[in-house]
Amino acid sequence: MRLGIVRGRVVLNSAVDALRGRTLLLIEPMTMDNLRAGNRQGGGKSLVAIDETGAGDGQMVAFTEGREAANPFWPESVPVDSYCSLIVDSINVRPQQVSQEI
Amino acid sequence: MFLARVQGTAVAVVKHPTLAGCRFLLVQREEADGTLADEPNLVVDWQGAAIGSTVIVSTDGDIARAKFGNTTPARMVVMGIVDVLPSRESSAPVGA
Repeated sequence: MRLGIVRGRVVLNSAVDALRGRTLLLIEPMTMDNLRAGNRQGGGKSLVAIDETGAGDGQMVAFTEGREAANPFWPESVPVDSYCSLIVDSINVRPQQVSQEI
Repeated sequence: MFLARVQGTAVAVVKHPTLAGCRFLLVQREEADGTLADEPNLVVDWQGAAIGSTVIVSTDGDIARAKFGNTTPARMVVMGIVDVLPSRESSAPVGA
């Protein structure tokens, strides 16, 4: 899973049947630098993920990518490749190590 | 599978029901020369890896599927904790 910030919801007019009634989130993946800075910025390339957690704008989520993103809909076949698995409440990051080179 | 450095832990109350009770580690993929990836990953761990240790992460969800059920979205799982790594100095190009 990667971490990302929810930037909004995507609403479809016309869609394949499998996506009817699903929530789609626009997510901006986070880099380690932004996570350490705690600035609530993303920095990665945005993507759309299916969501069942009810995450809102600005919240940090973790999303699964690949075939496993469709697992929650098993045995139904839903053509998705990213799924918002959880909403991050708190994250404890180890401080950056100081370079040994002087 | 890839090597990753454990950089932290994460807590989530709202999550997919199959992930209840999971330990989530924040890891950064590690290259052969020791550089770390820009984007971190959140992985499931039941080996008990400590912060600062190097682990092997598999991106195949089958093991998670076997443990948490067919509907789990878990994919990246800590497969093991690395004990000894090949020396990085010896693999560096001569004169680098």
